Amino acid sequence: MNEIIGAIEQAIYLIVTFDPEVVETTIRSLYISLIATFIASLITIPIGGLIYYHDFYGKRTIINLIQTLYSMPTVLVGLFLFLFISHQGPFGFLNLLFTPTGMIIGQTLLIIPILVGFTITALVGVSIQTKELAISLGASTSQTIITIIKEARYAIMSAVILGFGRAISEVGLALLIGGNIRGFTRIFTTAIALETAKGNIELSIALGIILLSIALIVNLLLNYLQGRE
Amino acid sequence: MYIVELDNINKNYEELHVLKDINIKFKKGTSIALVGPTGSGKTVLLRLIDLLEKPSSGTVYFEDVDANESNSRCLKIRRHIGMVFQKPIAFRTSVYDNIAYGLRVRRKTENMDKKIKEMLKVIGLEGYDNRNALKLSGGETQRLALARAMVTDPELLLLDEPTANLDPISTTKMEELITKINREFETTVIMTTHDLTQGQKLADRMVILSKGRICQTGTPKEIFRKPKNKFVADFIGIENLMTGEVETDENSLVSIKTDSIRIFTLTEKRGTVNFSIRPDEITISLEKINTSARNTIKGEVQEIIDTGSLIKLVVNAGELFTVFITRESLRELDISIKTSVWLYFKASAVHVF
Repeated sequence: MNEIIGAIEQAIYLIVTFDPEVVETTIRSLYISLIATFIASLITIPIGGLIYYHDFYGKRTIINLIQTLYSMPTVLVGLFLFLFISHQGPFGFLNLLFTPTGMIIGQTLLIIPILVGFTITALVGVSIQTKELAISLGASTSQTIITIIKEARYAIMSAVILGFGRAISEVGLALLIGGNIRGFTRIFTTAIALETAKGNIELSIALGIILLSIALIVNLLLNYLQGRE
Repeated sequence: MYIVELDNINKNYEELHVLKDINIKFKKGTSIALVGPTGSGKTVLLRLIDLLEKPSSGTVYFEDVDANESNSRCLKIRRHIGMVFQKPIAFRTSVYDNIAYGLRVRRKTENMDKKIKEMLKVIGLEGYDNRNALKLSGGETQRLALARAMVTDPELLLLDEPTANLDPISTTKMEELITKINREFETTVIMTTHDLTQGQKLADRMVILSKGRICQTGTPKEIFRKPKNKFVADFIGIENLMTGEVETDENSLVSIKTDSIRIFTLTEKRGTVNFSIRPDEITISLEKINTSARNTIKGEVQEIIDTGSLIKLVVNAGELFTVFITRESLRELDISIKTSVWLYFKASAVHVF
């Protein structure tokens, strides 16, 4: 028990003294996941809008498929991407394996289903009357979609935040694609896994506390946005 | 010049026939009320005109072109139409941005500020520019919706039950605005309403709908004087509505025989007919008098109802007749329940349909 308390004390010490390793890992983790979330949002919000707006054969099936992918194991996404970007893979020449860029691509792929799905849910939450109002006021298809996205902005932001939460907390993909290289691709989760295995509990706990704090902030943000709805 | 023409329109939702054989033309610059009970298809008709829905068969013409030919044509035409829905809603933004919406999507933003300020003045929401549109009252939202549709200067304004959700004061304001838009801006207005008096007040022409069919079109006067069938007569709440058999005698006098009385009239119709007599065409006296009126019927006062300005008498003369008299006449004639009275009306006062 004393050991744990001691480790927590050590961890807090590492945080408040801005331990270089802790700071660096935090910045890298945030950087990779924020960029991934940003790219994923750029891709998914318009796609979600298009799927929402158009009625086509198989729409229900596509949405079901997307929802199934919510719970896709992160290592599977990692494996899938690994096959493509490893040296023998079709995109091997891009040298993306074991780089932050590779991790960004991986995390982007990972959260795309959640973002598309939740964007659609957010848009469906906007009343059909609002959609018809836009159309009757002379909006074209793309103008209507943009209007609906604006109407659902808080719900969509919630989806984006959820996606970010999933990106920053995953470990399997980061290990497979990033390789946990110190000073280059090491992030919260991979660092915690490694340092714990090495017996470096204080560092693990320090990183864990920061990760939890981020989760807390994300949740507070979500609550705030849902309050605005 | 017709602005909209509906040619042989049918609309089905799967098995449900919502509109049947609709053929109608709407003249430019007029105001038209589509009147009918709930479920008569008037809202769907309005949505077809706004091209929000496509007919199952038939064609919608806007200024003589087939409006639903392509999506781009739909959009182009819709930008000449303004629509105000029955349930007023606003975009999640300011009053100003709500009104600006139509101009922005049309990319007609020159003088936008001035136009919006003018519109706010017209609808009586001056200074509301930066208010959150979602926080407006029902009446204010309805007027906002009207401004939002009108700011683009549409040729045709569609209003779905424009006052259905409003209190009496807001209703009066809204009705004044609609009249103003039609008269001053010369915008063609097509509105739906289940309120006959509103249709009568606001529209040059009324279209009576029932169960997806057009029962009658005409000026309010025509419809109130000469309902075309029993549905219209019932719907407009016509008094003294009866059914009988047409008979002609050797002097070629035409009369209608109901189960209990005979009424003289002028009609070409034969067989079983509906007919009505407007209460204001009926005069009443205590003693039998000589008049030129062809119909003289004796009855007994059965009910006396104070309607405020006039007194409504229900007289049992075999059939029940409704007659209106002034408060003074009631006093002078000393009429009470069971008083015997004579009713007089001309043969020409009987409307047969």
